[in-house]
Amino acid sequence: MLNRYTALTLIFCFLEKLFVFELMGSESTFSAQKRNTGVLPTTTATAARGRAASTLPRGRQMNKTYNNVKITILCGFVTILVFRGTIGISNLVSTEAEAENQHLIEETKRILAEIRSDPTDPNEGLEEYLELNATFRLGPRISTWDKDRKVWLRKNPKFPNYVNGRPRILLVTGSRPNPCDNAVGDHYLLKALKNKIDYCRIHGIEIVYNMAHLDKEMAGYWAKLPLLRRLMLSHPEVEWIWWMDSDAFFTDMVFRIPVMKYRDYNMVIHGYQDLLFNQKSWIALNTGSFLFRNCQWSLDLLDSWAPMGPKGPIRDEAGKILTANLKGRPTFEADDQSALIYLLITQKDQWMNKVFVENSFYLHGFWEGLVDRYEEMIEKYHPGLGDERWPFVTHFVGCKPCGSYGDYPVERCLKSMQRAFNLADNQVLNLYGFRHRGLVSPNIKRIRNETVPPLVNVDQFDIRHMVNQGSGYRS
Amino acid sequence: MLRGNLGAGKFGTPEKDLDELRETFSYIRKRVEPRRVLEEATVVAQGQQKATDSTGSGTNNYAEFDITKILKDEDDGVPEFKRDPSQPYSLGPNISDWDEQRAEWLKKNPDFPNFIAENKPRVLLVTGSSPKPCENPVGDHYLLKSIKNKIDYCRLHGIEIFYNMALLDAEMAGFWAKLPLIRKLLLSHPEVEFLWWMDSDAMFTDMAFELPWERYKDHNFVMHGWNEMIYDQKNWIGLNTGSFLLRNCQWSLDILDTWSPMGPKGKIREEAGKLLTRELKDRPVFEADDQSAMVYILATQREKWGNKVYLENAYYLHGYWGILVDRYEEMIENYHPGLGDHRWPLVTHFVGCKPCGKFGDYPVERCLKQMDRAFNFGDNQILQMYGFTHKSLASRRVIRIRNETNNPLEVRDDLGLLHPAFKAVKV
Repeated sequence: MLNRYTALTLIFCFLEKLFVFELMGSESTFSAQKRNTGVLPTTTATAARGRAASTLPRGRQMNKTYNNVKITILCGFVTILVFRGTIGISNLVSTEAEAENQHLIEETKRILAEIRSDPTDPNEGLEEYLELNATFRLGPRISTWDKDRKVWLRKNPKFPNYVNGRPRILLVTGSRPNPCDNAVGDHYLLKALKNKIDYCRIHGIEIVYNMAHLDKEMAGYWAKLPLLRRLMLSHPEVEWIWWMDSDAFFTDMVFRIPVMKYRDYNMVIHGYQDLLFNQKSWIALNTGSFLFRNCQWSLDLLDSWAPMGPKGPIRDEAGKILTANLKGRPTFEADDQSALIYLLITQKDQWMNKVFVENSFYLHGFWEGLVDRYEEMIEKYHPGLGDERWPFVTHFVGCKPCGSYGDYPVERCLKSMQRAFNLADNQVLNLYGFRHRGLVSPNIKRIRNETVPPLVNVDQFDIRHMVNQGSGYRS
Repeated sequence: MLRGNLGAGKFGTPEKDLDELRETFSYIRKRVEPRRVLEEATVVAQGQQKATDSTGSGTNNYAEFDITKILKDEDDGVPEFKRDPSQPYSLGPNISDWDEQRAEWLKKNPDFPNFIAENKPRVLLVTGSSPKPCENPVGDHYLLKSIKNKIDYCRLHGIEIFYNMALLDAEMAGFWAKLPLIRKLLLSHPEVEFLWWMDSDAMFTDMAFELPWERYKDHNFVMHGWNEMIYDQKNWIGLNTGSFLLRNCQWSLDILDTWSPMGPKGKIREEAGKLLTRELKDRPVFEADDQSAMVYILATQREKWGNKVYLENAYYLHGYWGILVDRYEEMIENYHPGLGDHRWPLVTHFVGCKPCGKFGDYPVERCLKQMDRAFNFGDNQILQMYGFTHKSLASRRVIRIRNETNNPLEVRDDLGLLHPAFKAVKV
């Protein structure tokens, strides 16, 4: 655009000069041109120019030069204005500060790009994928885990699997080792982690936050399998391992997993039996939030689950099988959720007696149907219910804030995630006498006078004391 | 042609031109602000940045969306209690019998003991960051790594974490924000014996080092520092308030009340800053900060507070990153975790790096690269429990150092971190 206008202006100026020159030097000729329409102006002009150059008196010449200069200046002025309009004056002046500025921009760009790049890309360096008929193992086969674990627990009484009457639970979550594609992604990973830290502190649960790709072949959603196996085997004192996606938020800080209900089960997962066995739907269960008991059965299930996972031809082929057999499944490589559903359907008799398909509370709560009802919930209900009246977990499936694109509009996702975060955070801040200024605001306000002795507030508002004494949530 | 293309507005007036000329030439003298550079660089770095869609209601692209547009205050009808502005600032209503109140509460609540094992107090680690996204586009990523690092250390050592993202008191913003928070947490958690404040830019680099709790049984306030530098020199960096322990007791409430008066934003903080620069050695000119204020209090009121303050320098409760980060390879070769001192620092504190704000006092690249190294240095000690390690201190990639066996419980736990003594529960 710049070049075009510059060129145009310069041509314009040149023509102006030429034209006006003629005007100055041959007024009579001009009138003659007008009168003699048949005569070509150029010939006459040339003739006139020639005549003008030789016949004009000196005074006239000075006047002409003066006018010429005037026109040139006018031309130049116009050119500058066009320049200014298109590129601005500052760019005309190149200074050392400019160069330094440019250098800083380049440097910062380079640093950010370097930090953002993913040197742990699992595809990098993995020259060959596992062949289609190769068998993949999560590790050497272990068959005596129940016995081994019992022996270990007996020998290590300081690391019991039950503490204060409750089984020891380990919450496992994580995210990729490199920065998200956009800053806002990391910010919501941070908020989601704070949210989990708060729930787990209140309920005496330990957290492992994983940021490492332990197994190049089991990359992506499958990464949780080798991680869960590894943690179970390294921590025999853990009774339940609870996987939770990084895009899931606790929204009920009071609700506790009813562990007694699962005395005779080894896996607890949110879903619907009907969708699973009758409809064979690919979303019958959700592997974004589920629990595994630390036992031989679970190791066996992981071993049976893993084979569809290895990246490459195995995962691609497995994907086709899953799409063919599960209702509603789009065409893409095998994912851990579809694979588990397929496994439980096809090997129902082997596994299902130990799998609890839970839907009496939202161990996983799909966000779309929940987030708009928060105000209604606040008005009518209270934390501690965990179900559709006050969801235990709000899971932002499909939002993908760490990537570049989600399946839903960004504004809806981020606003909803902030609302879920605040809904939970209000329950935490309640003990301290504070509350957010609305469900989307990062700011807080004081909601209780400080004149009451602090320990009275502790007894009344600390969730842990409520839970222990069996009393309800008070706000 | 011009008017048609540029419009009269863009055409400008001669005055506007003069202003712009003036500004351009003053550019030569003005130092370029890194922050603007960063914002520009971000815009360019994100490639095909279209004009930011201010409503953005339809876009699925995270690069195009400005989150600050949706983070707005709303009135939800719950009444607010405001502090009386006519009263002088105080952290809260005066309490004078906290020790007695707390002792009684602990007796009535045996399920929440203040000691979780023999000689092991219940500790709450407190840290935090802004509830708004960082100005620096990778700032939140470093905050995430930093909190993961703290989660790992605290899980191993049986310490609870409180991650604060709320500004409790607008007057005590900035470095002073920790004071109202600490007081509130002490009073709300009588079961906590020690509160451990740790800055968000500090990382654990020795996962095996357990704090020598016995050493502090007669003290209430533990900071990294040197007696001579405080009491003799009044040096403003004679101690560090980026990582310290505060016992939950009346004495601590009193020192918090003595500490806070220099904090309130505005004239008070500025005037206090001038006083501190005058009184303390080497302090630059800027508004009062909590660290300088504490130096001043200890130096001028030693008889009152000194006997309960422990200035620790036998290990790095706070370790200034500048003198540590280049020696990590040397440490790996010559020493081992569990020492906590100059041979293997407990904490590496990235003072001055400010990864969340605009780029800070040190060159960006050095800060971020070194934070990655410190993170990996600590993370290796966690990963080795499970048979992995980072490919190098600079790499995010991890490699296996121990094969899986069919006898997982016989595996060597080199650092003894899987089931350490300091994590054992009281039986």
